[in-house]
Amino acid sequence: MYRYDEFDHAFVAARVSQFRDQVERRLSGEISEDAFKPLRLMNGVYLQLHAYMLRVAVPYGTLNSRQMRKLAHIARTYDRGYGHFTTRQNIQYNWPALSDVPAILEELAEVEMHSIQTSGNCIRNVTADHFAGAAADEVADPRPYAEILRQWSSVHPEFSYLPRKFKIAVIASGHDRAAIQTHDIGLQLKQDDQGRFGFAVWIGGGQGRTPLLAKKIKDFLPESDLLSYVTAIVRVYNLHGRRDNKYKARIKILVHETGVEELTREIDAEWAHIRDGELKLPEADIAAINAYFTPPELVDRAEGWGELAAWKKSDPGFADWVGRNVAPHRHPDYAMVTISLKPIGGIPGDASADQMDAVARLAEEYGHDEIRVTHEQNLVLPHVALADLEPLYRALLADGLATANAGLITDIIACPGLDYCALANARSIPVAQEISSRFGDPARQAEIGDLKIKISGCINACGHHHVGHIGILGVEKKGTELYQISLGGSGDENASIGQITGRGFGPDEITDAIETVVETYLASRSSADETFIECYRRIGAEPFKAALYNSEAEAA
Amino acid sequence: MTVIWTQNGIVENDPWVSGAAEDPPKLLPLAEALEHAQDNAAFGVVLQPADDVRKLEPILDRIAIVALPFPVFSDGRGFSQAMLLRQRLGYTGELRAVGTVLLDQVPLMLRTGFDSFEVEHVPTIERLSKNRLPGIDLHYQPAADKAEATLGYSWRRTAILNG
Repeated sequence: MYRYDEFDHAFVAARVSQFRDQVERRLSGEISEDAFKPLRLMNGVYLQLHAYMLRVAVPYGTLNSRQMRKLAHIARTYDRGYGHFTTRQNIQYNWPALSDVPAILEELAEVEMHSIQTSGNCIRNVTADHFAGAAADEVADPRPYAEILRQWSSVHPEFSYLPRKFKIAVIASGHDRAAIQTHDIGLQLKQDDQGRFGFAVWIGGGQGRTPLLAKKIKDFLPESDLLSYVTAIVRVYNLHGRRDNKYKARIKILVHETGVEELTREIDAEWAHIRDGELKLPEADIAAINAYFTPPELVDRAEGWGELAAWKKSDPGFADWVGRNVAPHRHPDYAMVTISLKPIGGIPGDASADQMDAVARLAEEYGHDEIRVTHEQNLVLPHVALADLEPLYRALLADGLATANAGLITDIIACPGLDYCALANARSIPVAQEISSRFGDPARQAEIGDLKIKISGCINACGHHHVGHIGILGVEKKGTELYQISLGGSGDENASIGQITGRGFGPDEITDAIETVVETYLASRSSADETFIECYRRIGAEPFKAALYNSEAEAA
Repeated sequence: MTVIWTQNGIVENDPWVSGAAEDPPKLLPLAEALEHAQDNAAFGVVLQPADDVRKLEPILDRIAIVALPFPVFSDGRGFSQAMLLRQRLGYTGELRAVGTVLLDQVPLMLRTGFDSFEVEHVPTIERLSKNRLPGIDLHYQPAADKAEATLGYSWRRTAILNG
């Protein structure tokens, strides 16, 4: 993985002292809260309902054990013993004191971490496929390009006061595990027929109150043009994006209102001027960054095949876990392991300091010291030998980290909601917990199969409800919480925006309503192989609406 | 009180501030500037954030100063306007940030090519007059300021901004 050189270390140290100075000026009253707000936001410090929140960047979701231990230490020392992994592969602390934040940043800098641009109207932490560098289906590791973008966008002088936040995601596989079509810029690394690397480029995806999928504007952008082309996109957006209404300020609205063809012409015209300038990436530079991401040396461990079969036969719990949480690695003797942060009835994405330490230890012992954070709020050990799966499973079990539900109905994404967030209209966490408990039985989950539920506590859609197979949106109506259901959303390569079923449900009705949706699917599917989303796309919304609302119409 | 600051310090009797002299040269809006380009004397232009700076190209050699306003600190169009003026049009005259100029934005403005600043906020004037800028002297990307390539990646630059 990437290692800071002297330049990076000096840069992050300078950023910490800059922020310390900003905090001191705020605390002395030299600057107002209004003027301080954009400064703290650009360093990941939010003011929430009850306290400040600090969001720490995990660039493209990659961590080593030392960094994970530091995150645990910060949770213990400066917070209440836990942290919350987010849908942008970051971690949030919910209870730090503002005066402690510079000290936390110094601790993070010791392990090559920071909170730069995890908020604010700037280019945010760049995300990537959480299986990058390990997946059998990728053309190359996309993370070196994410790292190049991270460096280029750090404290960018021209792009620090954009109309609105700006999110970039990078993948390198036809299977989209990073939801690139819901990003301001989505990049898919590919190879042309002569083996050269380049990107398919999408722009204008986003959720919030106007969910729009990104439009593809380039089929193959040579890798050397990555920074000049992204600069052209962001410059056109900075000059022409709307600033009169923050709900219409994302690039998705500019794409929508200008038209993708006209906007692409403007971007290409801007690009023509800068394409052959200093932003051109020489092969040697790309190679230098790539060298940091050399995969660990994986020795053949063929004995794992036989052992795995025997372990599965003797322990159905282990077999379930392997079936759900273990995915094929590029090396046939290895696997990618998802560590679920969705215990039945738990808070999605939360991990205690002890659990973080446990993951760090297990990554060292069995995982070549690599950990990933997924946008679905789980963790991944990307390089585990099949021969080590059984002892790893035992250890995870002991720490409450072996829930075998990756991709199942209880693997729920939820935003922090009204329990923490100043923007929220409704609680998300208790809804997630109740649904998780209702469907917690392993046999029932297995029967239902792949199903993504995503819950947001307000229209800002941090819980990605628009792209949930089942989306739940909390709204506030006449002082009470109400939950709208949307169906048919998807954040993968076949992305789609879910459609609202109809009137919302109260907090005491929503879990029953979800059960009605699930039962309708089970009764309607053509076979056990037809997943929820496939079934929905075949039969449409009507059977679900009928099940949700007809009994009510009859009663009335 | 409004003060004009450059990296050489506070500017006394700046000729472009209204009322600074008996008959001060005015900063002209884009349309008027294009019209007055026939006159002999060099003049100043004040653009709006929505103005296309490229329209100045034919009269650029006549312009002594361009002022770019920041109506609110969050309106960052001026950063891109400045980049285009310096890099695309090769403008070398004075480039002034006016309006809401935050101390913490000044280092970014210097990098995008601004070289003078109209400032009202007293603590900001104090910091600027002591040349205590809150910026970071290490840069990951080229911009419009004088930059020297360092060892390492070719797009990574360092600039000697603050001394």
